[in-house]
Amino acid sequence: MAQNQRRFNVTNHQIPIPTLHQSTTNSTGTDTGTSTRASKTASSSDLSILTRFHAGYFRISLALCSQALLWKTLAEPTTDARALSSIVRTIPSFAFILLWSIALLTLLLLCLLYLVRCFLRFRSVRAELAHHVGMNYLFAPWISFLMLLQATPFLQPDNRLYRILWCAFSVPIVVLDVKIYGQWFTQGKRFLSMVANPTSQITVIGNLVGAHVAAQMGWKESAVCMFSLGITHYLVLFVTLYQRFLGSDSLPAMLRPVFFLFIAAPSTASLAWDSISSSFDTGCKMLFFLSLFLFASLVSRPALFKRSMRRFSVAWWAYSFPLTILALAATEYAQDVKGVIPNVLMLVLSVLSVVVTLALMVFTALKTNDILPHDDPFVCYNIARGTST
Amino acid sequence: MEQTELQVEIPSVLKQTSCQNIKDFDYVDYGNGNNPNPLENAISDKESYGESIAGSKITKLELQEVVIISLPASPSGLHIGQTKLVLHSEKCENTDQNDTKNPYPQLAKQKKFHSQPILVRENGDRKVVHSEAIRDHRFDPFKTWSGRLERQISNLRGKPTQEPDIEAGASQREEIEEAPGVDRYFDALEGPELDTLRATEVSVLPEDEKWPFLLRFPVNAFGICLGVSSQAILWKTLNTSPAMSFLHISPMPNLILWWAALALILFVSFVYLLKIVFYFEAIKREYHHPVRVNFFFAPWIACMFMALAVPPSIAVNLRPFIWYILMTPIFILELKIYGQWMSGGQRRLSKVANPSNHLSIVGNFVGALLGANMGLKEGPIFFFAVGLAHYIVLFVTLYQRLPTNAALPKELHPVFFLFVAAPSVACMAWAKIQGDFDYAARIPYFIALFLYMSLAVRVNFFTGIRFSLAWWAYTFPMTGASIATIKYTMAVTNVVTRSLSVCLSAISTFTVSTLLVYTIVHAFVLRDLFPNDISIAITRKKPKFSKMLSHFRSSSADSKDFDSSISKNSEI
Repeated sequence: MAQNQRRFNVTNHQIPIPTLHQSTTNSTGTDTGTSTRASKTASSSDLSILTRFHAGYFRISLALCSQALLWKTLAEPTTDARALSSIVRTIPSFAFILLWSIALLTLLLLCLLYLVRCFLRFRSVRAELAHHVGMNYLFAPWISFLMLLQATPFLQPDNRLYRILWCAFSVPIVVLDVKIYGQWFTQGKRFLSMVANPTSQITVIGNLVGAHVAAQMGWKESAVCMFSLGITHYLVLFVTLYQRFLGSDSLPAMLRPVFFLFIAAPSTASLAWDSISSSFDTGCKMLFFLSLFLFASLVSRPALFKRSMRRFSVAWWAYSFPLTILALAATEYAQDVKGVIPNVLMLVLSVLSVVVTLALMVFTALKTNDILPHDDPFVCYNIARGTST
Repeated sequence: MEQTELQVEIPSVLKQTSCQNIKDFDYVDYGNGNNPNPLENAISDKESYGESIAGSKITKLELQEVVIISLPASPSGLHIGQTKLVLHSEKCENTDQNDTKNPYPQLAKQKKFHSQPILVRENGDRKVVHSEAIRDHRFDPFKTWSGRLERQISNLRGKPTQEPDIEAGASQREEIEEAPGVDRYFDALEGPELDTLRATEVSVLPEDEKWPFLLRFPVNAFGICLGVSSQAILWKTLNTSPAMSFLHISPMPNLILWWAALALILFVSFVYLLKIVFYFEAIKREYHHPVRVNFFFAPWIACMFMALAVPPSIAVNLRPFIWYILMTPIFILELKIYGQWMSGGQRRLSKVANPSNHLSIVGNFVGALLGANMGLKEGPIFFFAVGLAHYIVLFVTLYQRLPTNAALPKELHPVFFLFVAAPSVACMAWAKIQGDFDYAARIPYFIALFLYMSLAVRVNFFTGIRFSLAWWAYTFPMTGASIATIKYTMAVTNVVTRSLSVCLSAISTFTVSTLLVYTIVHAFVLRDLFPNDISIAITRKKPKFSKMLSHFRSSSADSKDFDSSISKNSEI
């Protein structure tokens, strides 16, 4: 068992397994022997795609859906983007629909894969739910769906179908909220001080995106409700993440790109409050400036990301979504505060986000082998559960 | 060659060493061709050591054993004094290097504590080394480029210099280039300002001698500028605010204080600039100190206070470019320090948070206030947002008093007054940004008032604490609270608020004057305003004989008032 542990801890693209399950495997004396042998013989060719797939792949859908939303916002006639509007309007609308369709297809494919994995590899899914990083990515499909809904060229916000879809996508978010936030302060092994890590901000982002879309639909109360859920937990999480308790689970070096989520959360809050209060007031500005500061802070620390950049992995997709959301917030800011600097900011951030997303797509196309890990990231959990049940 | 044999009972600590084996120690080259001028190598990195090259003169003597005791220059635990024993005996004996008298081999590596060999020879050429010449080189690793800058300057001025020992210098530089990690500061130092050496630690510089003045000049000195310039703001507000016009304060105090603050800032900046030029390594160590790093914000905050306190007779409207110039260093420092909190290895906030971190937060709010005064719109909001977010984090962390927190003082100390600083300046900044003293400004104001009261009623717990320069930095929160109260009085004018303003202003003025008296007394009468800055002189690694040290230190006369006794002996 320890050998297994070591093997998985060494391969960087794995998510490290917390050691609390070790006692269960060691207690099952003879079974550990067989399980070790079993996993030794399992090579990458034996493990199917389903086993190697995990919720972190929804980063790709997050990135693409947010790109679609960015393009739509930039193309809006209300956007006073002097520099960008001329470029954006020359691009034919069919290109935008193409992007939207690609995003939708990717999202549907990933959801389908994950559904199949739920049915066929339920143990892996359970293991993932229990993991401090994996559990947060369960919000990712719903966030992607909501953003796609917002970016859709086919439906208007006051359409009945639009509202039904919003409900369909927001209810899972609220259910997950109850489960995960409840765990934060009630369940011993999963206290916030132990499980907090930068990916926990995805839970907050889920609430804030739901609030954003609700406000655009005109449902102010639901919007304020989800916003308050999101912002309260964001406050607690922000403080906890900054404190970096010694006992908390640390993030493996390969997952350092998720630090960019620090940028995404305040930007989403700023967007949400902007649609709730119908103007980019001081609160929105403060949240946007905070995310700008955090962006400057992360960008000025390239050493933090060096190890994760050595080898391409799906974690690299974590760069795209926060940059896109920041660009969106900058767009709203430029709309409200007219001037040279806000427009330049919007221009720079939008270009950056487009370039990063394109680069990631190119990398993924070129290195399809690396995009899937070679080992099952949750196999230890499987064995633990397998031997104990 | 006469050889005298001295039968001296050597304490177990002192052993004879072979002069051949240990390059680090002084040993005499008696013209034996085998040794490549070891004495010259050992001492050649000392600049004005020319007259003491006894080795070159003693060409005719046999290789003799010279027992030299190289103690750490501050034998604080060993209290054996500056013993210089020189024994001549017939032969060298090979002894294990580990049995040397120097129980701190890593100190020997780091700093060349060459003892001064008094070579007493029969034919009587006494070469006694001047102690001043050696003392210079002990501070070399703290100097810029390990002393090479000084040598260059001496070269330029035409003074004769010694050929630097490249080997010794290189190993010195390797050791010193890296400042100690943050863990070392917490292990080696104690006290609310992390400025007292623990009993188990030694300093790399001599503790019982007066260090060069520049090396003793800490960055805390900028705290004086903070204190005086905030007083200038207070008197300006008392003069100009209509709600306090019943006091009939003249503009004179503001003018005098402003000029005094300006002079102070220029003086302190000039001295510190000299320190940067000549003792850059010491600056690096201060920067890595968990408490001192926050004082690097102090010069910029003091300049902003000056801009806020500028008397109306000198300038009314300041140009915005001043704001940009002053906020840029704060922004860069912030990026570094907050980034470290978020992801910087060992500098976890749960471990390093201490009340002095408030200084890094206050800079944001002061900048927001100044920018709003100048009429800027977006910049102040930017810094207010950043300051607010990080202030919430810091406030929660400090209030939690986490058990992992190594830096919070267990007892009360004036450093706690820094808690009052951030909310009082934040409320003023918000009021200026919004235009009036609304509820969002009143909430931080009341928090500041509450913190002030809870510290003020415990003022009797503040007695018996050793005075230090950093206390000046703790006066500006009191002044800030007074100014905030005056602004509040402008919004809500009644007897209670007016009397509160008067009361708080009186307290803050009284405190500052008392502190001024204390400072003058310590500066000119007691002459210990700038004691040896122990906290930058900790070793990179824990001394190997730390337990023995603590035993020796505790058995010595007054180990507790160790620092104060040293500082009494030293001059400014």
